[in-house]
Amino acid sequence: MSREFRVSSVELDLPPFVGAFSRRLHEAGLPITPARAADFARALTLVEPISRRRLYWTARGVLVTDQSQVKTFDSVFFAVFGHRLDDKPFEPETTESAPPTEEQPSDLRPPTSSGEAEHGRPSWSRAGGAADEEGEEAQPQLIASDEERLASKSFDALEPGELAQLYHLMSSLEVATPVRRTRRHVTSRHGAKIDMRRTLRGSLRSGGDPVHLRHRERRIKRRRLVMLCDISGSMEPYARAYLQFLTSAVGSGPNAEVFVFATRLTRLTRALSSRNPERAIQRAAQAAPDWSSGTRIGDALKEFNDRHGRRGMARGAVIVILSDGWERGDPALVAREMERLSRLARKIIWVNPRIAASAFTPSAGGMAAALPYIDELVSGHSFAALRAVVQAIGEVGGRRPEVGGAGPEPVEEDWASAEPVAGSSVAMPSGYGPSRGNTTPGWVTDE
Amino acid sequence: MSADEAAGEIRRLVPDVETLAQRLAGVDYLVDEGLATSMFLSLRLPQPLLLEGEAGVGKTEAAKALASILETPLVRLQCYEGIDAAEALYEWNYPRQLLSIRLAESQGESLGEEDLFGPDYLIRRPLLRALEHPGPRPAVLLVDEIDRADDDFEAFLLELLAEAAVTIPELGTVRATHPPAIVLTSNRTRDLHDAVKRRCLYHWIPYPTPEREVEIVRRRVKGASETLAVQVANAVSRMRHSDVQKPPGIAEAIDWLAALELLGVETLDAGTMDRTLGTVLKYEEDQEVIRAAGLEELVRNK
Repeated sequence: MSREFRVSSVELDLPPFVGAFSRRLHEAGLPITPARAADFARALTLVEPISRRRLYWTARGVLVTDQSQVKTFDSVFFAVFGHRLDDKPFEPETTESAPPTEEQPSDLRPPTSSGEAEHGRPSWSRAGGAADEEGEEAQPQLIASDEERLASKSFDALEPGELAQLYHLMSSLEVATPVRRTRRHVTSRHGAKIDMRRTLRGSLRSGGDPVHLRHRERRIKRRRLVMLCDISGSMEPYARAYLQFLTSAVGSGPNAEVFVFATRLTRLTRALSSRNPERAIQRAAQAAPDWSSGTRIGDALKEFNDRHGRRGMARGAVIVILSDGWERGDPALVAREMERLSRLARKIIWVNPRIAASAFTPSAGGMAAALPYIDELVSGHSFAALRAVVQAIGEVGGRRPEVGGAGPEPVEEDWASAEPVAGSSVAMPSGYGPSRGNTTPGWVTDE
Repeated sequence: MSADEAAGEIRRLVPDVETLAQRLAGVDYLVDEGLATSMFLSLRLPQPLLLEGEAGVGKTEAAKALASILETPLVRLQCYEGIDAAEALYEWNYPRQLLSIRLAESQGESLGEEDLFGPDYLIRRPLLRALEHPGPRPAVLLVDEIDRADDDFEAFLLELLAEAAVTIPELGTVRATHPPAIVLTSNRTRDLHDAVKRRCLYHWIPYPTPEREVEIVRRRVKGASETLAVQVANAVSRMRHSDVQKPPGIAEAIDWLAALELLGVETLDAGTMDRTLGTVLKYEEDQEVIRAAGLEELVRNK
């Protein structure tokens, strides 16, 4: 086997080249394992990269494991091999119709807004970090009354040091969604169905007679929790506290997904799923480039529906939207996308920190448009209010009727239609009643 | 020995990327260089190939085309939520086991567990069938829409993907004599586990360019005129760039062209589009969006 190959009349020694190229990709953030690099070396001996183009596709085929990595891969590849010097252009449609990547290449840092210039990055990420160290050393133990005071304090009035303390409180929240039955079975003593496999195996012990019947039942699983958090300028006082809330929600189970949006939608589930909450928040800051910019709720919801919701993420899920509803775009789009979302989701909870204010009316364009499709509207402006959010997440509620009355009875998945619910408890702030009438006629409040 | 034989057969059939692309074109599956390279590597390394892309860009067709150029059976496993080993890999034939127990009893023989859990009582599901394919060329195993299965099922596939082997507790490890060519497809409804991705080659299939799409649909709808095919491809391409919830895939373009052909339409105009829109756009809202923008817009020359 020849150990050399040619790329555009450049002679390369194979093992050092593969090693160096893989290392560069690894440094750029691609998950390249030694086994992958070895595969790449073997692939090169098989494919004989007669052109730069062929080399590109060979390397990409072996080394890229997700569409979101293509951008990073491209930048490293073109840095090493020169930018598109080939006679034929690369397939133009690969960039055109591929979905926008969810994670930005690591060299893109979130732009800093004017108010944060002195920090060089969103204020909460560093403030939280510094405060954590100082705060913990100065007062090793939080006094109970301190916690109580903190719990009722509005997030926009928090001192930087208090943010770090707040995290201790946040991690005490247990975010749990309602359960549903899955199609999978588990062994159970009281299950309705007989587990033939185990029964027959057991029957061998008793000479072929199935003396002990083994039962099985449908496994019960928690519903998926999808959180969409507004990180635009108007939400800035709350965003840092909410990010901690999102982190503890992601940490509470494998079935949670987190997105943030201002002008674009960014998936943060991976960034936030770190054991170290401080690190998770720093990674989140790097992942979303649009901190504190304008809000386009409608576009963000549309992007979520198109790319994730429709494909299955929102189906039967509990959706939590954290936003003040100030919309720069067209409120009609918000209404349309909320309607789509409400057809997919089990339940939609909107957390709006501004409704705590006494003079609040849902006049913000996006909020008013979304209102008909929301199951619960809660304030969540302080830690105590977030408890209500957690409670709303855990309630079976939703638009669909509960089977067999109240209680933690798991509800059979029902895709059919959204039947109007009589007497469903919906927490709406006083001042305006739920106006679901246009989508679910016959809706009755129990007030 | 036989694994070498299988590798030799494949090397003979696909000596390089160009030959593979030509052979695929021979069975009416057109590939670009990226997909051809990935498929070539998947066959020759060999490693499973994970294909992602929008619905209807021909992910499943890729596996079918592969099976037909290799002239081997395509073993297809359609994934769904709740699929488990009993449905994907193997199941014991319980009625037959029970009968044997009764028979042995009546004849006064004794029957041990090892007799009951032997190959005679095994029902082979797709994955096991693909592994036991006798050759000389390996079967093509298509694990379709793996993202629909729950994540437990992915873990169960790992041994198959890496070793071309599965372990059945009662029988031991079944290793493929001719490791199958494995193609997995996913619609990205959820992220696959890294462990699965690490064992696969990855390729994202984009929508084709309108020119390429004309070639594809004309190969699939025999006898369709070029003008009509070009109009359909352009119209579909514009729909993909418009504000529809479910952009039409190649499959929809083919259906549309076939429908127009069946109706004897020669050139596409607003009237014929209005009648046949249901073959391309399957959502009421999407049809409204396109109608509101004006059907003539779709066939207007640039």
